[in-house]
Amino acid sequence: MSSDDTVPMDAIVVGGGPAGLTAALVLARAGRQVMVVERGEYCGAKNVGGLLYGSVLARLMPEYVREAPLERPVSRRRLTFLADTEEIALEFGAAAWSEPPFNHTHVVHRSQFDRWYAKQAEDAGANLIEGMVVDALLYEGDRASKRAVGVRLRGDEEFRAPIVILADGANCLVSESARLALGLRPGRVRQEYAIGVKEILGLPRGTIEDRFQLEPHQGMALDFFGVPFRGLIGAGFIYTARESLHLGFAARIESLARSGLTPNEVIEGFKAHPAVRRLIRGAELLEYSAHMIPEGGYDAIGDLHGPGVMIAGDAAGLVNFSLYKEGTNLAMESGAMAAETALEALKAGDTSAARLAAYRRRLEDSWVMSDLRRYRHVGEVLAGSPDLLDLYPRKAAKLLTDYFAVSCRSKSEVQREAWRAFWRGLPKLRAARDLWRARRLV
Amino acid sequence: MSNDESMPLTDKLYRTRYEPDAAHPHVRVDAEAYRRAGTKKLLKICPAEVYKPAPNDPEAVQTSHENCLECGTCRQAAPEEGVEWTMPDGGKGVKYRYG
Repeated sequence: MSSDDTVPMDAIVVGGGPAGLTAALVLARAGRQVMVVERGEYCGAKNVGGLLYGSVLARLMPEYVREAPLERPVSRRRLTFLADTEEIALEFGAAAWSEPPFNHTHVVHRSQFDRWYAKQAEDAGANLIEGMVVDALLYEGDRASKRAVGVRLRGDEEFRAPIVILADGANCLVSESARLALGLRPGRVRQEYAIGVKEILGLPRGTIEDRFQLEPHQGMALDFFGVPFRGLIGAGFIYTARESLHLGFAARIESLARSGLTPNEVIEGFKAHPAVRRLIRGAELLEYSAHMIPEGGYDAIGDLHGPGVMIAGDAAGLVNFSLYKEGTNLAMESGAMAAETALEALKAGDTSAARLAAYRRRLEDSWVMSDLRRYRHVGEVLAGSPDLLDLYPRKAAKLLTDYFAVSCRSKSEVQREAWRAFWRGLPKLRAARDLWRARRLV
Repeated sequence: MSNDESMPLTDKLYRTRYEPDAAHPHVRVDAEAYRRAGTKKLLKICPAEVYKPAPNDPEAVQTSHENCLECGTCRQAAPEEGVEWTMPDGGKGVKYRYG
């Protein structure tokens, strides 16, 4: 079956997340016929996230902070290092983060935000097809002349367009098959994935505000490192939504598999730490979720364009895996750039790989690849210096609590003892090397 | 429920909304590949415990695809254990309300 009776499409977008919907929005606003195919019953049904970085969205929709379903802005951040029972934290924030544009960082429920964003793309003129699975792309020609010409939906329905934008997320089966079919080169290193596991924990609004010391219009993002993560390449988080907390962790899949721990053991260990337990006391589990995150960074990014095809967002591996952990804004920027490239190509009547190479150049010349290049060694540093996420946070938390131990001993004795405990079991040369390498994380 | 005691995973999964596609399992494990690999990573790595030892044969695996959160972790963690994974039909599978 084909769709000869419908309006011919200029572009088809696979995946209705931040990357795909941005591409559709930009194309629709330029008056092009664009179709978004989303496999979930609604956009966002399969998506998991916590923080929305809205700097690109602000450019496209300046009113988004008033109109989008945003839970709370991130008014303050806290980094907490956990030892067995000790903790040490660094907290920072600014009054400006509680006012427009809120440092472009909000806690969101992605299932709700993505649904709203899909409506914006639809209002701009995009055709939204939800609840349909793209099983593969359609191709014409063979070998050197092979090009993508559309998509095949499950049930054998086909849609054709001169451009297909693949934004099918972290677990990107369609992009994978298109890469093989068109011979797109993989990245210089293998893509590495983390698994993120999260619980939505319901708490009354007032309890959240009292517990995290927030005004009603404020919110907070907390990151946790150390003991609960048992040497995994990973960390935990709590984000305050309006009437719930996002609590979870993300860890490199390979390190989790090696540890022999189950994801549920890790999340339960995290929740059981005294510094975490008191924050979630009395909370009710509303939803349990899991999602992958591509963490390979710049060197894991392969070809992002081919004849008739561009790849954007998580499917392209565009995640800034560092202390910043940004993904949504990179996804949106890549979607916008794919759309701008598509507009030029459609105008020129040329959607060849050579023409679509402009997409890669746009990305390379932008802050997206600049940031990814800057943090290209983060994965390597964490894998090569596992103590950074385990031994050192524990040591730091212990040193500070030992230093402030009150006793009838003299302070000089207490301090000497604290430092002695600190150096005990600390490989000094390696620590110096690790800390020097750690500068690449920030 | 309070968080003073940890909740079993099966109870957690009850809080997540699914529309199962009972007739079409989207996750399969090639029994021969699983046996050959002998690493049994699938049993631990899945956040939804989709993979369990088969009741009659600890060297085989039994899958409960209706619990799948569609994260794809199994595909990355243990391709050698014979995971065959396709997307569930449109609109089926996990349906996050919060996400």
